[in-house]
Amino acid sequence: MSLLHLSFYSAFTLSSLGLAFHRTHLISALLCLESMMLSMYIALSLWPVENQATSFTLMPVLMLAFSACEAGTGLAMLVASTRTHGSDHLHNLNLLQC
Amino acid sequence: MNPHAKLIFYMSLLLGTTITISSNHWMMAWTGLEINTLAIIPLISKSHHPRAIEAAIKYFLVQAAASALVLFSSTINAWHTGQWDITQLTHPTSCLLLTTAIAMKLGLVPFHFWFPEVLQGSTLTTALLLSTMMKFPPITILFLTSHSLNPTLLTAMAIASAGLGGWMGLNQTQIRKILAFSSISHLGWMTIIIIYSPKLTLLTFYLYSLMTATVFLSLDTIKVLKLSTMMTSWTKTPMLNATLMLALLSLAGLPPLTGFLPKWLIIQELTKQEMTAVATIIAMLSLLGLFFYLRLAYYSTITLPPNSTNHMKQWHTNKSTNPLLAILASLSISLLPLSPMILATI
Repeated sequence: MSLLHLSFYSAFTLSSLGLAFHRTHLISALLCLESMMLSMYIALSLWPVENQATSFTLMPVLMLAFSACEAGTGLAMLVASTRTHGSDHLHNLNLLQC
Repeated sequence: MNPHAKLIFYMSLLLGTTITISSNHWMMAWTGLEINTLAIIPLISKSHHPRAIEAAIKYFLVQAAASALVLFSSTINAWHTGQWDITQLTHPTSCLLLTTAIAMKLGLVPFHFWFPEVLQGSTLTTALLLSTMMKFPPITILFLTSHSLNPTLLTAMAIASAGLGGWMGLNQTQIRKILAFSSISHLGWMTIIIIYSPKLTLLTFYLYSLMTATVFLSLDTIKVLKLSTMMTSWTKTPMLNATLMLALLSLAGLPPLTGFLPKWLIIQELTKQEMTAVATIIAMLSLLGLFFYLRLAYYSTITLPPNSTNHMKQWHTNKSTNPLLAILASLSISLLPLSPMILATI
């Protein structure tokens, strides 16, 4: 496994661990989600460079468009949680427990 | 909600589902999953109630993380094999990560914790969409990649789902949570047979969607959300209550009704593949689910409390029953005699 692949694996894994172990704020979970998407963007951008074929250059742009929509949705949920629960603290989201 | 916005959201749901189920490239599958996630978030949070917003946040976080994992596993496979075809997933790390990601999307144990809470926070119609339509693209991906998934992990998750779905549903009084746990245990049944006969998984999914749609639409007609309301709902539409009881028993898998068909075929296929212990365990674990289905049927139909209802929504004037409910109820109760025809066509 080359150094390049190792750096992408570790970037994605660390971000997903950050998302899994989120502690107080919803915004830190959203940031980790964004960094997962960023590491995927860089990984997909290097695919046409490795293959020397320009037909694959659409993939990172498509991925970026959808990840931007997702980021916008996440921020809208952040604002909505502040309006209904008063803050974005994750331990306030306990209205629906079993 | 603005009717134009509603139209766009429902059309986007259809678009996302169609893109994923008809895709050959992993990017297209991921795109369809993302469109589905983005389109259903406003539908869950439509009423701006704190519970709805909380359900939407939990749904969004889980589904976004699972989509990113799907993309990551397909990128690892592309690096090692040079192609993005969905049916040609060969790298072992990639297969394991994809199994995990699809389990997160569907709500298999141990990634099921979001599902009862999200269903509890949404309306009955949105809960129906979440249980049936949103499960369809991940099950399609499972079907397309079934030969390359990790069998041990899948069997373990399936047995745990069937068990936990039954166990955790035992102490619930909110009907949406009970239906969420029923969904988790049915997903366990769907997952256990995917390696041996993927067509049985699809058959189980179709019949499960039919029966769940019947139950959700009946509950929406009589406007019940919890057991105490269900006990006094017989005064509104007695015939619908009797049909609801039969539909619930069909979900439980009792023999002359439709729900028995997938369970029977799955147990037969597992026995043919020399997995008799697994078949016995999963059949025993579905008895736990039978308890809460029987309790729901008992409270809705067999006990008739003498008091009138004290639930405000049931005092409102009746809107006419959805005519689709008649078709779905007849199908979900009496489809078992047609099983040779169903087997020939799937």
